[in-house]
Amino acid sequence: MADASGQIVAELTEPTDPRGAAHVAEQIAACAGKLAQAVGMEGTRARHVMVGLPGAIDLRTGRVSLAPNIPGLENFDILGFLRDHFGPDAAIDNDVNLAMLGERAFGCASQCRNAAFLALGTGVGLGLLIDDRLFRGASGSAGEIADLPIGRDPASQIPPTSGAFELEVGSFAIVDRYRRQGGTAAATVREIFSRLEQGDAVAESVLDTTAHWVALAVVSLQSLLDLELVVFGGSIGVRPELYERVQRALPALFPRPVTIAPSRLGDRAGLVGAAWAAAQAMRRNTAPAQ
Amino acid sequence: MTMPVPLPAVTSVTRQLSRRSVFEALLHRSPISRADLAKVTGLSKQTMSEVIDAFGQQGLVRQVGRTSGNVGRTAVLYELSPEGGHVLGIDLGARRLTVALADIAGRVLAEADEPTDSRGGAWALDQIARLSDRLARDNHTHPSRIRSIVLATPGVVNPKSGAIEMAPNITGLGHLNVVGLLSEKLGNPVIIENDINLALLGEIWHGCAQNVANVAFLALGSGVGLGLYANGQLVRGENGAAGEIGYLPLGGDPLQAESRLQGCLEYQVGATGVLRRYREAGGSEVDSVIQVFERAQVGDPIASQVLDETARLTGLAAAAVIAMVDPQLIVLGGSVGARPDFADQVARVLLQLSPRPVEIRTSTLGRRAGVVGALSVALSRLHDAFFGVSELAAALPLPPPAHRTARQ
Repeated sequence: MADASGQIVAELTEPTDPRGAAHVAEQIAACAGKLAQAVGMEGTRARHVMVGLPGAIDLRTGRVSLAPNIPGLENFDILGFLRDHFGPDAAIDNDVNLAMLGERAFGCASQCRNAAFLALGTGVGLGLLIDDRLFRGASGSAGEIADLPIGRDPASQIPPTSGAFELEVGSFAIVDRYRRQGGTAAATVREIFSRLEQGDAVAESVLDTTAHWVALAVVSLQSLLDLELVVFGGSIGVRPELYERVQRALPALFPRPVTIAPSRLGDRAGLVGAAWAAAQAMRRNTAPAQ
Repeated sequence: MTMPVPLPAVTSVTRQLSRRSVFEALLHRSPISRADLAKVTGLSKQTMSEVIDAFGQQGLVRQVGRTSGNVGRTAVLYELSPEGGHVLGIDLGARRLTVALADIAGRVLAEADEPTDSRGGAWALDQIARLSDRLARDNHTHPSRIRSIVLATPGVVNPKSGAIEMAPNITGLGHLNVVGLLSEKLGNPVIIENDINLALLGEIWHGCAQNVANVAFLALGSGVGLGLYANGQLVRGENGAAGEIGYLPLGGDPLQAESRLQGCLEYQVGATGVLRRYREAGGSEVDSVIQVFERAQVGDPIASQVLDETARLTGLAAAAVIAMVDPQLIVLGGSVGARPDFADQVARVLLQLSPRPVEIRTSTLGRRAGVVGALSVALSRLHDAFFGVSELAAALPLPPPAHRTARQ
C-alpha cells in the first residue's frame, strides 16, 4: 500500500499459493484486505491497484502468456477478477517491467531515459525503458530475453526451444553445470555461491561460464538498443560475485563502454514499481481536466 | 546564399491550428473545393476563405479546375502548389550517391544517381552539391525554393554532437564537419540521419511497411544493420547507436580480435565475411557476393553451403530482434537481404530458430529506400516549419504514395 507519491506505507509478504491462478487471485484480494485492516482502513478498498505478474502481458486483451511459474495463469482472466474485486482501475503488468519502473522512480536508474532491468533467478526476464517509457513491443513480448538465441542452439530441438538463453543461465542450468563439472551435490545456487567463498574451483568455473553467457546477452542488448544502464536484479543478478564477473568480461566483447549496476531496490524492485505505477495512474485519473 | 521566404509569424495557436488542418486536408484530399474543405475541417466558410487567401498569397495553393456534373454552380478545386516549397533527399552510400527532389505535397519530381566518388571526404560532398544543383536546375527549381534537406549516410549520427561516427566504408568523412560544410554548399541547413533508419522510414512511407506501428528493418549488404520503429517512433538509443547489430555475438567467437574490431556477426555475414568464408571453404575466385549467389544457382555446393550459413546467421539475428523488441514485421533490405530467394531462406530458418516467428517481407523500394526515407523526413520537417504547433507533439501524417516517380 502506497501514498499518492507512490511511497510504500505498509506491506505484507506471503508465499504464493501453489495451487494456481484462481487461488493466487483470491490470495491477492485477501492480502489487500489484511493490509487495509493493518492500517486501520477496514471496509475501504484501494481503487488503483497494480499487480505484477511473471509473464508476457498483452495490454489490449489482458491476456497473460509465457507464464510457466503460476499454473493456469495463461487461461485465467486475472484482470477481469481484479476489476471485479477492486474496480475498473485495477491493472496488471509484467513484474520485470515494474521492477524497471521501480528503479527509474526510486532506485539506481533515476537519471535514465534508456535502460534495462535484467532479472536473473529461477528464470530470466528483462524490462526495457526506451525514451523514458516502458517498451512493450507489438504484442507485449518485448524483453523476452529467455528466448535470446544465445547459449543453447535453439534449432537443436523441434519445435524450437523456448528459452535458449534461459536454459544456459537459469538457476537449474547453473546447478546442473556445477554437478556435471564434478562439483559435489549442491541443491541450490545459493550453496554454490557459498562454496565459492570457500575456494571451490568448480564453483569458480561455473560462475565464470555463467557470467560469460550473461555478458553476451548484455552485448546483444547494447548492440540492439544502445542503453545507458543495465540494472542487474533477481536473486542471482544482484550477487556481486556474478555481476562483477560480467563487468570484467564486457570490455573484451564490445567496443564501447557498457554500464551495469546492481539493483538498489533488490527483491522489492517490482513491488516499489507497482506501487509507483498505481500512484501514477491515480494522479492521472484525479488530475483536473485541462 | 539566397534566404528562403520568411515563414509566417504565429499570431495565435487557434489560427495556426486552423491553417494546419486546412493544409492537412489539402495534403490528403486534393483536389478539393472550399465547401468540402470546410466540411472536412469543421471550419466556417469565412475562416476557410481567409486561410485559402493567405495560402494563395504564400504560393501554397493553386486552382486546378472546377467540379463538374453536380446540380447548381460548379466550385473551384484547389490543390497544394509545388511553388510552396521543395525538399531534397540524398542517400550517400559507399558505392552510389542518389538524390531526389519532391514538392511540398510529397510528389517525387525527379531522382538521379551516380557512383560515389571513391576519393570520399570533401570530394563526395562536392559531388552531392553538383548532383543536387543539376537535379534542381533540370526541374526548373531555383535552389532558394528548396526548404528542407535530409542526407542518409552509413554510420552512427551522434544526436548530441551531430558528428558521423563509425562509417568505415566511406573514406575521409570522420574528420569533416559534414553538417556544416554541406549546409554551406547547398545554401540550406542539412539534417543527417543513419541510412538504415531512413530506409526503414522509406518503407513505412512508400514501401512494404505502410501502416505498421512496430517494424524492424534488417539490412544486409556490405555490412549488417538494423533500424527500429516502435509505436510510431524511430528508436535511436542513448548515443544514436541502437541497431548496430554487427556486434551481436552470433556466428563466431566473440572474443577473437576480428569480432571486437568489426563486430562478431558482421565479420561473418558482411560482404567481406561471405567472400572470406567462400574462399576458406575452397570456393573459386570471386569478387562479389552476387557472384556467390550465381555460383550457387549453377550448382556450386560450396557456394550453397556458404549462403545457407549466411541465411542461418541472419535468421539468428532476426530471432534475437524478436526476443528483445517484439516487432510486428521484419523487413529485409540491403543488396543481399532484399533478394527474395535469400529472404525465403531466412524465413524458413526462422521457423526453426524462434518460438515466435514474425512475418518477413523484402524491401519493395530496394536501393531507393534510403532516399525515399530522406524525402519523408525532409517533408515532415518542412510541414512542421510551416504548420508545427508547439502544443502538438504529433507530426502531420504524410500522404500515401499516389504519385509515380519520374526517374532520370
